Amino acid sequence: MSNTAATATEKWDTVVELSHVTKYFDQKRPVSLLRRERHRVYALDDVSFSLQKGELTAYAGPNGAGKSTTFKLLSGMLRPQQGSVRLFGLDPGENRIEVMRRTGVLFGNRSELWWDHPVRASFEWKKAVWDIDDHAYRRACGELRELLGLEECWNSFVRELSLGQRMRANLALTLLHGPELVLLDEPTLGLDVLAKRQMIAFLKQINREKRVTLLVTSHDMDDLTEMANRILLLSAGHLAFDGSYEQLAQLAGDYRIIRLSTPGEAPVLEGATYLGCEDGRHLYRYNAGAMTVQQVFSALSRIRDVQDVELGHEDVEQVIARLYQNML
Amino acid sequence: MAAKAKDVFRLLGLYARMDLNWLIQDWSMVVVIILSETLQNLSGMAGVLLLAIRFGGVGGLSADEVLLMLGFFELADGLGWMLFGNFNVMHISRRIGRGQVDHMLIQPRPLWMQLLTEGFMPCSGSYGLVVGAVLTAIAVSRLQLSLTPAWFGLLGYELLIHLLLQVSQSFLYGSAAFWFPVSCEEMSSTIIDLNHQLGKFPLFGLPGWMLGLLHTVLPIGLLAYLPALALLGQLGYGVKIALPFVVAAVFVTAAVICFQKGLRHYEQYSCNRYREMGHRC
Repeated sequence: MSNTAATATEKWDTVVELSHVTKYFDQKRPVSLLRRERHRVYALDDVSFSLQKGELTAYAGPNGAGKSTTFKLLSGMLRPQQGSVRLFGLDPGENRIEVMRRTGVLFGNRSELWWDHPVRASFEWKKAVWDIDDHAYRRACGELRELLGLEECWNSFVRELSLGQRMRANLALTLLHGPELVLLDEPTLGLDVLAKRQMIAFLKQINREKRVTLLVTSHDMDDLTEMANRILLLSAGHLAFDGSYEQLAQLAGDYRIIRLSTPGEAPVLEGATYLGCEDGRHLYRYNAGAMTVQQVFSALSRIRDVQDVELGHEDVEQVIARLYQNML
Repeated sequence: MAAKAKDVFRLLGLYARMDLNWLIQDWSMVVVIILSETLQNLSGMAGVLLLAIRFGGVGGLSADEVLLMLGFFELADGLGWMLFGNFNVMHISRRIGRGQVDHMLIQPRPLWMQLLTEGFMPCSGSYGLVVGAVLTAIAVSRLQLSLTPAWFGLLGYELLIHLLLQVSQSFLYGSAAFWFPVSCEEMSSTIIDLNHQLGKFPLFGLPGWMLGLLHTVLPIGLLAYLPALALLGQLGYGVKIALPFVVAAVFVTAAVICFQKGLRHYEQYSCNRYREMGHRC
């Protein structure tokens, strides 16, 4: 670690700091055969927040809200037009190498694994490139293989892994060098329910035991509420909310969704509002602050021929819409 | 400096091991690769060589001298392929245009070190080098050239110039993919193919202005023709040493400037597309 980085760590318990960050992209859009119209798209507009050491924070927002742009700014891949980005007190664009030694980055739709090699080869590659010493490598490898269940696929080719195995291997690779800060962009993307739960449990465990600071993006409210104790809600480049889920529920209301499979027309569900039909299932919304789960099941038990029931949180888009509605 | 050199060699060792492991994962693939690569390298020069044999020479060179020129091209090109051929390092516009520079930016290594080491493929990519070495040896033997240390020094110098010109042109024109990722994704391949097709022809007899152009602006004459004449002892020091050095220096400088400008553009706009293909496989 360089002297600059060491000094910065001593002074800063703040691991991430975004201060009045604005990032826009100028685009040209065809309006006719020959004419192009210039258009400015704001990915982030005057966004400020900071993360303290050991925080597990969810970075939520609908598609196109600016989540990935934030991650690219934090990783030094992009630079803001206005404002400043600091990781460990350092500008990631200017101090890319120092910052990347202490940070792990995982984009959900990208893989650092070497496709035509066994899983272990990617770990050996990372050991050499990140210059991890033998002792630390053996310890981290052993822990991650056990915790993320990679033993069975350790010698398999990456191209032969299932999606869940690949995501777990990617996460293990991201954590191999013992990063102090981990940026995870959609780590549960495409995973089934069980794999999702395993992934979330693991993230919570390393956050609790190793005080790793985690910033995790998702647009699935169920994942976010289960995972993080702090939620940053991003909407169209603006930070719409920063606080706990309880605070968010107070502001936007704690509404839940019931997905009900029954034959025929939608039955009446007492205490819930019918929203419509989606994929052959009837959707209802109820206020969890006014109706307990027992009351929901009691109402459900009065409906005949229920084939399947699923309870969950609203989509991030709906939460944000109501948040703005309530704030106006 | 010594630490960085040590890191470079350590990473070269890593990528050499990975290349070997990739190659030997399936022995039938090893045989297919050796055969196909050797045939490809031989067929790439067959046209010019057959013409030279049929007509007792072509473009002011005898058939054996043409063989030396083609052997040198294969040797130099094979060296470049072995050093930078893997994972689209040589075809850098693919990495840029496919949004894969992000993968490089999250590694705690300088970009130059990554680019210098990641493409190393001594096991699966050395057939051009071997074919080129054999052909050059045959040509040297038939021409009965006297192999002095100075001759080998000149050979090394011409190989280095060829390598610098190929890589710098790929990076210079390939940098366009920073601005136009879709349309310029294959820019490096286009310039490499162009060099492959035109670089193997003797240029004797062309008008002076065209020769000037083909030794400077589009320096295909410096890839094999001029080196062959130099190795045959037919050129003065000014042409065989100074001209290639100046042209290579200009191309390398232009490539570094354009690539850095492109990276600065990338930091502002990133790449609006991402394709997994060709980077980690």
